[in-house]
Amino acid sequence: MADSRETNRDQAIIVDRGYRHYEGPRTGRRGAVRAIVKEGFRRVMGLRRKAKRKLLPWTLITVALASVVILVAITWATSQIPTSEGPADLVPRYRGYFDFISVVALLFAAYAGAQLLIPDRSEGVLNVYFSRPLALRHYLAGKALAYAAVILSFWLVPQLLLHLGLAALSREGFLSYLGRTTDILWQVPLAALAYFVLHASLIFLTSSFINRVGGAAAAFLVGSLGLNLVALFFQEAADNTPGSRWAALLATEQHPRYVRDWIFGVHDSAVWLPAQAGFGPGASLAVVVGLAAVSAALVGWRYRRLT
Amino acid sequence: MAQSRERETMTEHPPSPEVGAPIIETRGLYKHYANIRALEEVDLDVKPGVTGLIGANGAGKTTLIRLVLGLIRPTYGEVSVFGTPVAEDPAGLRERIGYMPEGKCLPLDQTAADFVAYAAELGGIPPVEARRRASETLFLVGLHEERFRYLGDFSTGMQQRVKLAQSIVHDPELVLLDEPASGLDPAGRDQMLELIARFREFGMNVLFSSHILDDIERTCDWVVMLDAGRMIHSAPLDPPGEGDRLSVEVFGDPGALVDALTRRGVSATVDGTVVTVVTQSEDAFTLMRDALESSGSSVRRLGTSLSRLEDVLVAAAREANG
Repeated sequence: MADSRETNRDQAIIVDRGYRHYEGPRTGRRGAVRAIVKEGFRRVMGLRRKAKRKLLPWTLITVALASVVILVAITWATSQIPTSEGPADLVPRYRGYFDFISVVALLFAAYAGAQLLIPDRSEGVLNVYFSRPLALRHYLAGKALAYAAVILSFWLVPQLLLHLGLAALSREGFLSYLGRTTDILWQVPLAALAYFVLHASLIFLTSSFINRVGGAAAAFLVGSLGLNLVALFFQEAADNTPGSRWAALLATEQHPRYVRDWIFGVHDSAVWLPAQAGFGPGASLAVVVGLAAVSAALVGWRYRRLT
Repeated sequence: MAQSRERETMTEHPPSPEVGAPIIETRGLYKHYANIRALEEVDLDVKPGVTGLIGANGAGKTTLIRLVLGLIRPTYGEVSVFGTPVAEDPAGLRERIGYMPEGKCLPLDQTAADFVAYAAELGGIPPVEARRRASETLFLVGLHEERFRYLGDFSTGMQQRVKLAQSIVHDPELVLLDEPASGLDPAGRDQMLELIARFREFGMNVLFSSHILDDIERTCDWVVMLDAGRMIHSAPLDPPGEGDRLSVEVFGDPGALVDALTRRGVSATVDGTVVTVVTQSEDAFTLMRDALESSGSSVRRLGTSLSRLEDVLVAAAREANG
């Protein structure tokens, strides 16, 4: 009997698996958008990709997380030194963390946005997307949501670790600290949202018109920093020119910071060019929202032409 | 106990091209791009089965496919798929359509399995089932072992197979294939065409564009020809009643060969030194061999190289161009 079974097993071959029809439920456009978000997150993080594709995003993430460790370590060290000022006055915390890793965050924002949009075009994958039950708006919404997932994670995960680290070091006790600092739970996400909206507007715009990841990221960085310099020039050199104060609104990189200070209730924001030009944080918020609207219109126009 | 697997193929065949309702209908279809007239007054019914769309480069094949997908809008006229006007719900219809583009469409930094699963999810298949179907579909196109390799490391032939796999992974009822065999070597082309011919047994309808007659002739039930944006021919590829066809080119006068064929009850057409016979009752090669032997004619060239389709299409093109 056993011999017979072995003989049969030896003789068995798979001739043809054929084709199996799918009879189950379909997820429709919502499922397709969810797939775009998931795949976009993987693409930016280099997940399921070769090691070289993981290098840049994970280096930047490591720097962001290492910054938290450094801040917590400095907080612990300063708490050991008797001083007239508390550690909170010496070490950047939630609001200050945004500035502490601003360069790293800008690089990550540039890389993530360009990586989300450009390869689909340069590798012709748009042909596959638009042969599926997706409209252009679903595709772009999926990409924007993927960008939100990546960028907000980049800001919020380190902030969460910072929060827990500071709570652990707190003299008043872990839970008491958490209970006293509940404002952080809405202030940090709201500030991160302001950064996300501005960065998404600018990098999606450049990535829609430039067909190389490096080129679009560079254009985003040069544009962001260059506009700040232009605004500064008008502020300093052309101070007496009529209407020059409006040039302060070109300092795009400063608007989310000004809005962030507003969210954190910091009113001494004279360091920001829009504030120096006499604009309130509401004007900066309006610029961020306006840029998002203009960017959405231009990106939509560009993709309609492409497809 | 034998461990062989049962075939999972559903053997539900589509209705024959003669009896089924059209899968694709176009009425008075025009598509103009600025000064270019890509399509001109195309009235077309694509029946169930495998339909070949043939025409030279620039004839309007890709434009027609993009109109069927609802990716572009007609300048005038209407396109319907499965009886529904594409303009009504293009995205909804695309859930039932698969598309293999002619050009590149693969993300080179993804594995074949990941990309095809992603394509399935975009087509509305839930994630777990999408991975399973991706694996099965890649097996079907002959890439099971290679499915975890990156697409950038694939040869052109393997990439074409992945493109084909993504077009059917979400189980479409209609598959639009734009030059699926382009860039393939002869062996790869054969395999691709065999695979496409099998779609019939999977219950899929296929619209298959190509500018190579042989590919269409080997694969399709029906052929549509476009020329400079106009549809100049639409008919079954192998009309019932028409049999085997063979052409032979002889040295010298073909008269003796024609006489020998006539004595065997077969009428032959002569074009210079080329003699062509069409026979329904017996094997054309056997008939020609016997006639050649009895007439003593010397053969210069023999074969089915001058295809029926080529003749038909050349005649259609001549007629269309006056």
